[in-house]
Amino acid sequence: MKKPESAKGYYSLLPWIIPGAFVSAWVIFSYAGLIPDYLLPHPLTIIKTGYGYIFSYNTSSIYSGRFLSDAEASLTRVCFGFICATLCGLPLGVLSGRLATVNRLLNTFVNGLRAVPGITWLPLAMVWFGIGIKTTVFLVALAAFFPIYLNTAAGAQQVNIRLLQAGAMMGVGRFAGTFRILLPGSMPHIMTGLRLGLGISWAYLVLGELTGVPNGLGAVIMDARMLGRVDMIVVGMLIIATVGRASDGLLVTFLKTCFKSARRMS
Amino acid sequence: MVNVSKHFDLNGNARSVLDDISFSAASGEMICIIGRSGCGKTTLLNILAGFLMPSSGVVKVNGRPIRKPGPDRCVIFQEDTLFPWLTVRENIAFGLRSGTIGDKHSIESEVDRFLTLVRLHEFQHYLPQEISGGMKQRVAIARVLILQPQVLLMDEPFASLDYHTRREMQNLLLAIWMELNQTIIFVTHDVDEAITLADRIALIDKNSGHIREVLAVPLPRPRKTEIPEYIFFRKNLYESL
Repeated sequence: MKKPESAKGYYSLLPWIIPGAFVSAWVIFSYAGLIPDYLLPHPLTIIKTGYGYIFSYNTSSIYSGRFLSDAEASLTRVCFGFICATLCGLPLGVLSGRLATVNRLLNTFVNGLRAVPGITWLPLAMVWFGIGIKTTVFLVALAAFFPIYLNTAAGAQQVNIRLLQAGAMMGVGRFAGTFRILLPGSMPHIMTGLRLGLGISWAYLVLGELTGVPNGLGAVIMDARMLGRVDMIVVGMLIIATVGRASDGLLVTFLKTCFKSARRMS
Repeated sequence: MVNVSKHFDLNGNARSVLDDISFSAASGEMICIIGRSGCGKTTLLNILAGFLMPSSGVVKVNGRPIRKPGPDRCVIFQEDTLFPWLTVRENIAFGLRSGTIGDKHSIESEVDRFLTLVRLHEFQHYLPQEISGGMKQRVAIARVLILQPQVLLMDEPFASLDYHTRREMQNLLLAIWMELNQTIIFVTHDVDEAITLADRIALIDKNSGHIREVLAVPLPRPRKTEIPEYIFFRKNLYESL
């Protein structure tokens, strides 16, 4: 989308209008004393807590300076879970989108499984994997699998058979055709699936960290809830929003850098 | 030497679409297959390409029977089948990259040659969605000609183009055909297109799925639509259709 030069300044501001309005409303409400501090703390408190959490400036707080280790723990869990989900979801999705037999074999099972809310896996996962990284990775992988699988299958299905025929007549067999035609042809759907999967990974991260692991962005939030530190809860949420948005951007940039089809078709 | 002879009938759901069709094409010949909509022209071409198997009978190229699609018989489809994530240049190079033909340098010079042949050099870095329908079909022609197929199969390739573009494409095809001397089997429902292009015209009957007759076009090239012989031949062909 090309905009005239004069409109460019406004255009780059566009994404910040809604967050800005929210923060303004929040500031106004807090200063006017319309919301008690224990429900929604004053923005300045949030900034102070957040600053201390990230840069360990107020060493008296128990959350001071924990950001790096928490973020590292959470990122590791999200990455592992997301990678597992991708490794299963992508190939199975391609197969099921293209082969009626595989589709018939998998669909009932996958959709049945999908109907089970992720949170009900928590007790079972704890029994299986105990408390720690494995439970979280399992939950994240399970949740991220479905959007990746379903979107890839839809993408592979909508690739015009003529494109594959065109490849076949130019000497590209089924195996090579999968990588040179089918995957690029499904790329917009695959990208959607991966992005949804990564988004849901962050949601299930918090669920996975409910279980009393000592570190992680979700763990901090649950910990703060028990101590009644609403400011820390909000800080945790804001950080997850930021890191989640950044990871989505990174994913898109990564795909667009590596694949022509991602660059040119979306 | 190319010798496509075929003999089969196809029973899709016990319905015979093509019945007992046989013909052969000599090397370098341009044959048009003409028939009403739904007579099985595209089915016939799909069989020639190897996308479909005949229920009986065999198709042979150079004496060897066809079992699957391959770069010796390339198809130009009616619809746009360029790869939308590749530029014009990359689309044309696609088939060469897949094989073992030549090193990088000779691939690039081959691509340049065919870009020039279809007059698309200045558009080589455009994506398919950025060029016109006629240009897309020119890319489609170039990307298969570069593989030097023994037979070129064309399935109403210009049907979705406007009149002027279609005339231009027909002339371009004739020019390329004169230069490279490909065997071309060209499916169409357009009487004028068939007469303009073909050495011989095969008529498929819609009801029976037979080849009703094969007519040699007696007109000299380049063919002019206004001469009386053309008009007479056209009238005959039109009536027998």
